[in-house]
Amino acid sequence: MNILGIGIVFARGSGINCYENALREGWQHPAEVNVSQAKDRRSSVYQVDLDRVKDKNLWKRLRRADKFSKMAVLAAASAVTNSAVLDIDKKRLGVIVASAFGPQVTTFDFLDGLLDYGEANVSPTIFSNSVHNAATSYVAEVLGVHGPCLTITQFQFSFQTALLMARVWLDEGRCDYCLVGAVDQYGEVLGYIQNHKLSLAKDGRIKPFNFKPTYQVPGEGSVFFLVSRNKTANVFCEIEHICFGKNGEDNNVTADLNIIDADGTLADESAYLSAISPEIPTAAYAPLFGSLMIGSAFNCTAGALMLKNQVYYKNPVTDNPQGINLLQDQGSSGIERISCIRYNCNAEAAVIHLKCV
Amino acid sequence: MSDNEAQELVEIRKKLKTMLVENLSLEDVNPDDIKADEPLFGEGLGLDSLDAVEIVVMLQRNFGLEVKDMNKGREIFYSIDTLAKYVYDHTKASPES
Repeated sequence: MNILGIGIVFARGSGINCYENALREGWQHPAEVNVSQAKDRRSSVYQVDLDRVKDKNLWKRLRRADKFSKMAVLAAASAVTNSAVLDIDKKRLGVIVASAFGPQVTTFDFLDGLLDYGEANVSPTIFSNSVHNAATSYVAEVLGVHGPCLTITQFQFSFQTALLMARVWLDEGRCDYCLVGAVDQYGEVLGYIQNHKLSLAKDGRIKPFNFKPTYQVPGEGSVFFLVSRNKTANVFCEIEHICFGKNGEDNNVTADLNIIDADGTLADESAYLSAISPEIPTAAYAPLFGSLMIGSAFNCTAGALMLKNQVYYKNPVTDNPQGINLLQDQGSSGIERISCIRYNCNAEAAVIHLKCV
Repeated sequence: MSDNEAQELVEIRKKLKTMLVENLSLEDVNPDDIKADEPLFGEGLGLDSLDAVEIVVMLQRNFGLEVKDMNKGREIFYSIDTLAKYVYDHTKASPES
């Protein structure tokens, strides 16, 4: 399965070129937002500014959509444009949207309306956006997709599961192309949980290699891949394997680089150490987009860019108390394979193996 | 109509325009650009049936007014003028609400 196009929306903007610039420029301090329930009322967040990334043509068709759906549609549309594949039969194009939390901000808005005004006076628009398949429906409607559509809401491995499903659809011939992506949104409830239950990065820096803990800076955004069995001149890379398991590794695959997630939800994320090899350099790009349960999608995007451009992007934050073999410098060489590794709270791993084409 | 009443209607119109833009997420529409006598639905502002339901919810939440008869709703929701008059008449009729 090949990645033919990538669309992305994150705190620094939208589009694959914007993300590439972020990878080159490195870490930047996140924005500070007011959090009504926070201990100190201010919190660092990698938040998407929709006014900055909005697409006027798309926005006309998204008047009633919430931020969650808008981010998904923007990234999905951008992935199609980026692929430069012009002759996609929309009946043979599928959509799979992965999310850890779904449209939780809108769901809480709906519940607030229910409690404040009663069931007869809740907003029908807010209700329709609180439905978990809403973002997928918007993507399908705006892009004119008539193939299979699916939403996968799963706490830990939603993006990896979505990729597996895309592979199944392509293998069994349900579609020729699939838009597979991930989206999550920051909101007041998540802000409360993060402020009260997790280790927030007081200096605004996620430290992925600190492990105990990696510290949190909440983020939000969306990534979409246009994947297919076909290859084009613009192809980024191949998704060779998606493996789940206790250690997650496919023993037959040796990578040139391991990219690890850092969502900061555990006090101890040292399970990652078992997947890190002293011979293979390690990178983590969460400090660019935030602590996200769907961070693998953003890390895979970094991996795909590196394989396509044959350039390594240096680690944005290099605090390294464990002395692991970190990718230090931005440079280029023959990069053949990159593994994107994510662990859950049961020390189970999911690894996405990317291969140069 | 007294000056007082006219002034109250002006205020209600202004409030309704702002509410419409905010609650219906009317991109690129400035509340001041909505003409008081232009149709809200169809060729005017271009609202649709789902917007009508949102306006029903908006009137209930902000003015405590219920519009249950959708046939009457057609007249009430015709324009900002008709909407403002309905709000004015019915909030005057039951000041406790």
